Amino acid sequence: MAAPLELSCWGGGWGLPSVHSESLVVMAYAKFSGAPLKVKVIDNTWRGSRGDVPILTTEDNIISQPAKILNFLRKQKYNADYELSAKQGADTLAYIALIEEKLLPAVLHTFWVESDNYFSVTRPWFASRIPFPLSLILPGRMSKGALNRILLTRGEPPLYHLREVEAQIYRDAKECLNLLSNRLGTSQFFFGDTPSTLDAYVFGFLAPLYKVRFPKGQLQGHLQRLSNLCRFCDDILHSYFRLSLGDG
Amino acid sequence: MASGREPGTPPPSRWAATRRLGLGNPRARGGARRWRQRKRSPSTVSCAGSSWPGLAVTLGSSRLHRRPGGLCESEPQPAPRLVAAGDAGVSEEDAEGREERKPRARGRPAAMSLAAEAFVSQIAATEPWPENATLYQQLKGEQILLSDNAASLAVQAFLQMCNLPIKVVCRANAEYMSPSGKVPFIHVGNQVVSELGPIVQFVKAKGHSLSDGLDEVQKAEMKAYMELVNNMLLTAELYLQWCDEATVGEITHARYGSPYPWPLNHILAYQKQWEVRRKMKAIGWGNKTLDQVLEDVDQCCQALSQRLGTQPYFFNKQPTELDALVFGHLYTILTTQLTNDELSEKVKNYSNLLAFCRRIEQHYFEDRGKVSSSVKSS
Repeated sequence: MAAPLELSCWGGGWGLPSVHSESLVVMAYAKFSGAPLKVKVIDNTWRGSRGDVPILTTEDNIISQPAKILNFLRKQKYNADYELSAKQGADTLAYIALIEEKLLPAVLHTFWVESDNYFSVTRPWFASRIPFPLSLILPGRMSKGALNRILLTRGEPPLYHLREVEAQIYRDAKECLNLLSNRLGTSQFFFGDTPSTLDAYVFGFLAPLYKVRFPKGQLQGHLQRLSNLCRFCDDILHSYFRLSLGDG
Repeated sequence: MASGREPGTPPPSRWAATRRLGLGNPRARGGARRWRQRKRSPSTVSCAGSSWPGLAVTLGSSRLHRRPGGLCESEPQPAPRLVAAGDAGVSEEDAEGREERKPRARGRPAAMSLAAEAFVSQIAATEPWPENATLYQQLKGEQILLSDNAASLAVQAFLQMCNLPIKVVCRANAEYMSPSGKVPFIHVGNQVVSELGPIVQFVKAKGHSLSDGLDEVQKAEMKAYMELVNNMLLTAELYLQWCDEATVGEITHARYGSPYPWPLNHILAYQKQWEVRRKMKAIGWGNKTLDQVLEDVDQCCQALSQRLGTQPYFFNKQPTELDALVFGHLYTILTTQLTNDELSEKVKNYSNLLAFCRRIEQHYFEDRGKVSSSVKSS
């Protein structure tokens, strides 16, 4: 049997097993593929590392980014894409690229850059899970990293002002949500009846947006109007994460 | 006398009153007035028959041109914000292709609001595609880089697929002329549009579209695959050009700075390299090795190959902008000589992609008497 796989990631809240998108992607994929992951939640003791989360620790090596973790799990025969055709596999890559390009900047903005949200929700939550005095530094650094990423990838001329960039990224994100909703239609998962990598990614990015209560969530409002995506998130939460719902 | 002026003194100058009112030196004012008139002269971009003489409207991107002294800020701005295209115009007239002015990449332009964009696309819709539309890119032989060549070829292929005539013009400062800082850009009538996305929308506003026949799900797939190509192929090209030491030293620095004198060529090349490296670090590609990047390219090509299958184009019978984009990138990768051939080897593994490129080249470039561009390293 495979050696125990330990995943350290940010904890949960608001009914989610994890509030961090990338950690949630890995946890969802592990549930879909049946990989026995031991989830270690980062708390405010000094044990464990806090950079580059989520991190998968096995006996031999340490793997850090979601894409690499998923590749590793696939090599260990925990494959959720077993039944997909070649074209569906290609579609998966394309939709993941679409989510990362169009949806991720707006999600980062909602969580980390929008000051109302950041100071009232995100920062207290993360600071309570990081030991003092790192709790004064790390959330600020994560916020600056998010702003940096948004500006460097989307803030190119002619959109130099953050306001204009914001308008553009929210427009793109709403369009991306509409596209995902059209693609999902009325089926339970994106490719038939069993969940796959794409479902893990979509769930990972949408569920925090859906569940976490923000003071300023225009993207949340848009998402809640797309009922099939909300139903998709709720279904996955109820079927795969029921036991951990109580941890919220 | 009641006037209080002693006889023999000269009458008070009529300028004294203005000076007292604090209006400054009227000569300077007159000069400023003359300067403003010169700025509005129609000698910049020839806009025959246009309703905005002397100014160019940019679709999807506009900027408030900053002249020294910031005179623009005091002028009342009509909506939408219009560009005094002094730079683009003057540079275009120069037949030698010399750079007319200093690089303006540090300017702070303002963007169009959504209402302005709608207004401008209405203008776009009223005029048919002119015969003298031009596409600007960097110098083909000595300056242009892999990623820019791919983008330019993609736009050319797209316009060929739409049956719209376009003339390709090479300028050393094309990157600075472009409204968004990226090449290629097209100059159509009195509008300047850059990058494939806005160009596709602009062409659609004029009534030509390749993706009208697709349903909603297919349009979503097309957008997703275009993002895949941008996310993986374009980023890999940028990585290879600017973050891989061998390529940077041998090819990129020499090519990027070739039209400029020393030391400007080194300064500009290092500056661009710093910008690209910063961006790579922000999106998480900073720590990737070349092998990992090549693996990503392989994955992307595999996905494209699986999606294409045995069909002639990605959405069966008719080519779309996705086909143009994929062709631009793959053809450039296949025909560009770099320090090593690993990148093109990855593409050559997939025979249906090779056949796809060959098919588009034959159908849209050779058949119409044009030779598609291929870049050789100097």
